[in-house]
Amino acid sequence: MRKFNIAIAAVFAGAVLAAPSAAPAQDRTVKITGFGAKSGVVRVFGVNSEAALKAAAEEINKAGGVTLGDGAKAKFTIEFLDDRCNAEEGISVVRRIASSDAFVAVGPTCSNVAESLFGILQKKVGDGSDSGLQFPIIADVAAKGGLAKISEWSFRNVPSEFEMYKALFAWLKTQHPDLKTIYGGVEKDFAHSNATFGVMKAQAEANGMQIVGQSEWLLADTTFSTQIRDMKRANPDIVAISAHPFTTCGALKEMERQGVKPKLLIGLTSSSSIETLQGCAKQAEGIIIPTSFAPVTPEAKKAADNVAKFGGSADLHSAAAYEIMFILKDVIEKQKIMAKPDTVKADREKMRAGLAALKETNGLLGKVGRTADREAIKPFLYVHAKGGSWQVLYKPSS
Amino acid sequence: MDFYLGLIQIIGVHTLLGLSAYCVLLTGQVSLAQAGFFAIGAYVAGMLTVLLHWPLVLALIVSAILGGAMACAVGFPALRVKGLMLVVATAAFGEAVRLFFFNFTYQVQSGAILLGPHGGEGFRQIRYFPEHGWGTLDVVLFIWTIVVLVMAMLWWMDRSRVGAVLRAVGEDELAAQSTGINITAVKVSAMTIGGIIAGIGGGIFAHYTTHIEHIQFGIVLATFAIAYPILGGLSNVFGTLLAVIFIQGLLIEGLRFLGDWRNLLFGGLIVLAMNIRPRGLLDAGVLMTLKRLVSRNGERKGA
Amino acid sequence: MDLLDLIDTIQSIADGVLFGTTYALLGIGFTLIFGVMHKINLSFAAASIGAAYASLLILSAVKAPAVVVFLMAAAAGGVLGGLVYLVGFKFIPLANPLATLMSTVGLLLLIDEIIVHTTAGVPLNYPALFSDVIVPIGPFNLRGDLMFVFVLGCVCMTVLLLLLYRTKLGLATRAVSQQPTASQLCGIGIMRVNILTFVITGVVGGIAGAMTGAAIGMLSPLLSLPLTVKGLIVTVIGGLGSIPGAIVAGLVVGGLENFFQFLRGVSERDLYIMLLLFAFLVFRPGGIFTVAAGRD
Repeated sequence: MRKFNIAIAAVFAGAVLAAPSAAPAQDRTVKITGFGAKSGVVRVFGVNSEAALKAAAEEINKAGGVTLGDGAKAKFTIEFLDDRCNAEEGISVVRRIASSDAFVAVGPTCSNVAESLFGILQKKVGDGSDSGLQFPIIADVAAKGGLAKISEWSFRNVPSEFEMYKALFAWLKTQHPDLKTIYGGVEKDFAHSNATFGVMKAQAEANGMQIVGQSEWLLADTTFSTQIRDMKRANPDIVAISAHPFTTCGALKEMERQGVKPKLLIGLTSSSSIETLQGCAKQAEGIIIPTSFAPVTPEAKKAADNVAKFGGSADLHSAAAYEIMFILKDVIEKQKIMAKPDTVKADREKMRAGLAALKETNGLLGKVGRTADREAIKPFLYVHAKGGSWQVLYKPSS
Repeated sequence: MDFYLGLIQIIGVHTLLGLSAYCVLLTGQVSLAQAGFFAIGAYVAGMLTVLLHWPLVLALIVSAILGGAMACAVGFPALRVKGLMLVVATAAFGEAVRLFFFNFTYQVQSGAILLGPHGGEGFRQIRYFPEHGWGTLDVVLFIWTIVVLVMAMLWWMDRSRVGAVLRAVGEDELAAQSTGINITAVKVSAMTIGGIIAGIGGGIFAHYTTHIEHIQFGIVLATFAIAYPILGGLSNVFGTLLAVIFIQGLLIEGLRFLGDWRNLLFGGLIVLAMNIRPRGLLDAGVLMTLKRLVSRNGERKGA
Repeated sequence: MDLLDLIDTIQSIADGVLFGTTYALLGIGFTLIFGVMHKINLSFAAASIGAAYASLLILSAVKAPAVVVFLMAAAAGGVLGGLVYLVGFKFIPLANPLATLMSTVGLLLLIDEIIVHTTAGVPLNYPALFSDVIVPIGPFNLRGDLMFVFVLGCVCMTVLLLLLYRTKLGLATRAVSQQPTASQLCGIGIMRVNILTFVITGVVGGIAGAMTGAAIGMLSPLLSLPLTVKGLIVTVIGGLGSIPGAIVAGLVVGGLENFFQFLRGVSERDLYIMLLLFAFLVFRPGGIFTVAAGRD
């Protein structure tokens, strides 16, 4: 028994000491570290992001790699760390990355982790009195509105839900002028769905629709009968559901049970994924969701195939991770980043300045605009569930 | 380096959380309410430093007082029950606290942004440390000064008559009662001390994560609070510290090189640890061995 | 309150009570283990969901009718129950209730993570029986699938009570739960009884998991934690170790949940439920079905 204990102690000590293995500083590779949730109920996001980062890195490497500041060509390698969607662990992960030679990190998945991470970063660049971490982070998934404005070191390549739903409701008004009343369903205890619901409501009203009521439920709720009955009584033309796949499906199934058949269904961006179709393809038939990704352009098709090769699926979230690799390549080349161990501090500042200076980037669906508070304005389209898959309904020409 | 310092911060705060449950466990009670006191501490300290610009130490004192007061108030009715009843009753209380903050919004305009807790969307920008120019090392020293003080106090308490009384109640309530110990008073005091420690821990938690929201203070956190002392063993305060290092240092950060296996091993290793050390990592047997080792070394030095 | 509101209130409560049947099934499992071993098995709900997932594996291999899937879930639940005993209880001394509490927490996390790793955490469709049957009674509609679950719950209870009070195994189980040492002296193999108890509760758990999946129409690892909490609540409200109590408590919890949902909306619903629960436990610690004096 005692030997066993000693062995455990040895493994323990070894593991802790060897933990952040310093990246081998070879001139010809640039390691990009992504992080996000790869355990728990949101694991699928991390898996997809990792696959997208790897697919994009392979794509870039095949085309010759990235040109560093000293003219040398380098290949990208990808590492992906799991933060279990936990704020403390996310902070640990970023401190670990920032302790290495990395000059940027890509992530996280969860908005609550992003809130904490962006909070520990320095708020204003060059503010000597602020001891926050000086390390650029660019987020691919965390979708809660307005996160990047927390720090000047935080960036996002996340679609603006405000723009998407604004355009969607304006479009609905032209397509279905006869649909006048709308009823909302919202997953109340999740920051993202809750905030997006506010956007949906405001836009519906702005387009002259009448909100006849709303139902609320929680992330892990399993019964929806009371909420759906209220919906049935309101008898709306349109039902807008701002919830993640699990409860979106639960609510849709209860709607079927109670025979609620609105003329139009609208869903949350995050539900335009394969999850919804696995959970309730039949009930979700016809639901319209705006998304910033669908394999409609040649680049997007290629990206989707590449991501699938690495065991992930391309959706609006992982497509953002895919695009980020190309953004990073451009910034590295434009800012002449050296990627050497002794230039880490300068590289980070260059990376931040480069990301902040971007006015436009190349997205899979077309040009992506960048705003002053470090967010993206992405092209988008509307998809709807049809026959067990997502099909493009309409692509606004922006 | 920054990474290790950050990890040491996390270990410090979780040690406080574990110690708050340790006090209650000594009296033989399993409380899942600690996450609730932790949440109270976090929200109160955060609001005091962000909205009223109080210094952190004062804010933590208020957190401690409120955490303790709430624990005392809950302790009186809750500690009438025992065992599984208490587990579920305290879990219900903890959830009620979390749900209170889920419904709690109090925001103040500050420049262009709104500050303060905002219901389900959480409470962001609790940036006392970076705003006051505290480096990672400063924060580590601050946290660990508090942790060492708390541990020293509990160590001393454990060694004094108070500790003997707590443990007596934990071992055999009836026997303790028959020797004239007022068991309700003892249990409520233990609960209050636990609430004070959890309040301080929560206050620090809010400041080093800079953003808090209700989901963080759920049943999972409450389970971890009791997991630390149980896993570490109840023989003394260092067991809890050891268990926090085991979970936060080894299982979460140390096994990262295993990739996806890390998450699977997380639960599995806790099961394994309980199987081979049912009385905790640092049980009486290990302590004896350690003592013998120390005294043998001492003899050698003497000779 | 006009008539329409009254009808809605009653319908809400009725829906909740019916959904509470799935809580009742879970509660039966928790209470049975507690009754026999005087220990909490926190991994029970996770294992139940795990069993339902396991039955989906069968479905992915061959196209089977829902009944077969449910039976597979029950079988998988039995196997998982046995495993939980071997890994989480067998090697831990009886005198350490805290150690088994923790080992079952570890098992809960382990089972959850295994599910997450095999499915990437994605919700999966789950087959249901009678899901398109809606029974109209006056102005009210009752869900056929949930009434089926209710009947199943009653059947489970009857079988378990018969098993406990009419068979040798039941006699042995009750003997072990009351006086382990004495029953060992009478030639009862404690180990065997314990394993059998876990396997039987595992079967109940598998059924509960399958019924929960069928009632929701989906499975997700999101379920295991809330179901653990609900299962424990049902166990203590029903009175520890009381099988009929667990059933009644399951229905009551389901009904109350929907009632507060209807009255106060979702943000405050759980807040009131938790406060009510706290008050109930503190002032009537014995639960519904035991005398108030028993405070454990």
